Amino acid sequence: MDIATLSGQIFGYIPLGDIVLYFTPFNLFLFGGALLFTLLIALSNTETQVEATFGTLQDRRVEVDKSEFKIRRFLALVCGLATAGAMITGDLFNFTLFVALIGIVNIGLVGAVKMVDVLDSAFQYGIIAMIASLPLFGGAALILATTGTLSLFGLANSVVTPMVTFGSILLIMGIAGETGIAPFYATKAEMFRTPGSPFLVIIHLSSLLVIVRAIEILLIINKPF
Amino acid sequence: MGRPQLYNEEGGRRMNGAEVLVPSVVSPVVVSLYGPAIAVGLIAGFIALLGIAFKKGDLTALILTDIVGLAMLIIVAAVATDLAEALILPGLVVELAEILAISEILMSREMRKTGKNVDLIPLPLSLDMEILHTAPAFFAIILIAYGAFLTGFTGGAIAGVGILFYVLSKTIRGVPSNIWQGVAGISGIAWTLWLAGFLVFFVLPQYWLLGLFMSSCGILVKVASKAGLIGVMGREEFRREK
Repeated sequence: MDIATLSGQIFGYIPLGDIVLYFTPFNLFLFGGALLFTLLIALSNTETQVEATFGTLQDRRVEVDKSEFKIRRFLALVCGLATAGAMITGDLFNFTLFVALIGIVNIGLVGAVKMVDVLDSAFQYGIIAMIASLPLFGGAALILATTGTLSLFGLANSVVTPMVTFGSILLIMGIAGETGIAPFYATKAEMFRTPGSPFLVIIHLSSLLVIVRAIEILLIINKPF
Repeated sequence: MGRPQLYNEEGGRRMNGAEVLVPSVVSPVVVSLYGPAIAVGLIAGFIALLGIAFKKGDLTALILTDIVGLAMLIIVAAVATDLAEALILPGLVVELAEILAISEILMSREMRKTGKNVDLIPLPLSLDMEILHTAPAFFAIILIAYGAFLTGFTGGAIAGVGILFYVLSKTIRGVPSNIWQGVAGISGIAWTLWLAGFLVFFVLPQYWLLGLFMSSCGILVKVASKAGLIGVMGREEFRREK
């Protein structure tokens, strides 16, 4: 599908060899949104969970100490920047690399907590994310081998063959596993029991934005209409 | 499955239905290996998934997952061009980073369950041999000098082995944590030097020699100081010891 039909008028592009960055209203909006949220995270403090306990009048406070807070904030910023990069990139393999980086950072965000249940689910999520790297990079490599380019500008003009479709199916499988959307969402929901919002919200936001962008990329490559 | 349609046109062969031009210097045997390579990758991944399905424990699952990662590298390598070579490296790095992150999670979970801490580099014996006090400096100097002579990725790896050997043998006597932090800092600066060198290639191609030297020296120091990566993780361990 034509890029201009799909995501609006092309404002311009930066050719860096084979890597062509292009700017459309769709891209810029997602990019700006990701950057804005990253900025909000950089400025914010973390929450403190307060749980009422049964039988007594006391509360249980779950606080995040200073060093853990710093690591969390750093990882959340990396996650936000990786999301922004995935929104603006014009190269298929860079997109998959950004998605893989988001997956790693998501594991790291919950890796430092002291709750065994959360660590358990983070481990399961990590295993899924690692398995998903096979279809993710494999799909991109299949598309490269069949069309000879990874630039989305080039892919917009390429011929759709069965191998490209197969590569795209692998790619969407990989993205689903790496960002933990359905059918892999169960472990990710468990990970949310950690204290430390709003840093944890970036996990959801990144997968949401990545899916939107992935659909755009798959439409560009496969041209179903 | 991507089997090439063999007809000559402008000194090359076009692949079936696609716009890719395979140069005529590439032998048809090599081109015909693509389909089997993809099949091998997918089958290897499938076997690893079967292994995970029949797993005995979490550690087994983690080790078997690495086979899936290797299958991914097979599929990327099957493309067999310069670009594919450039794609294997980030794929490998991502794979290593993921396995490091997951094994850290596994370790911290087990530590929390059992209530015991483990060393960063657990040694079964007390290796307090005399050679670890006298040899490290000598070996490290030779390896680092040879690595600096080679430059680039290979040189970095050799110099890195020298530094790692020095540090690991010093570990017996305990390494102060600020040495680790320093190594990690140098690593970061070299990394930016490498990136800046690449930027010179793109932005100012006429200064390609400067860019080449910047990136080659940067990657020398960067790979050599990969030990800094272990340092960041090991910092707390050493701080507790000293």
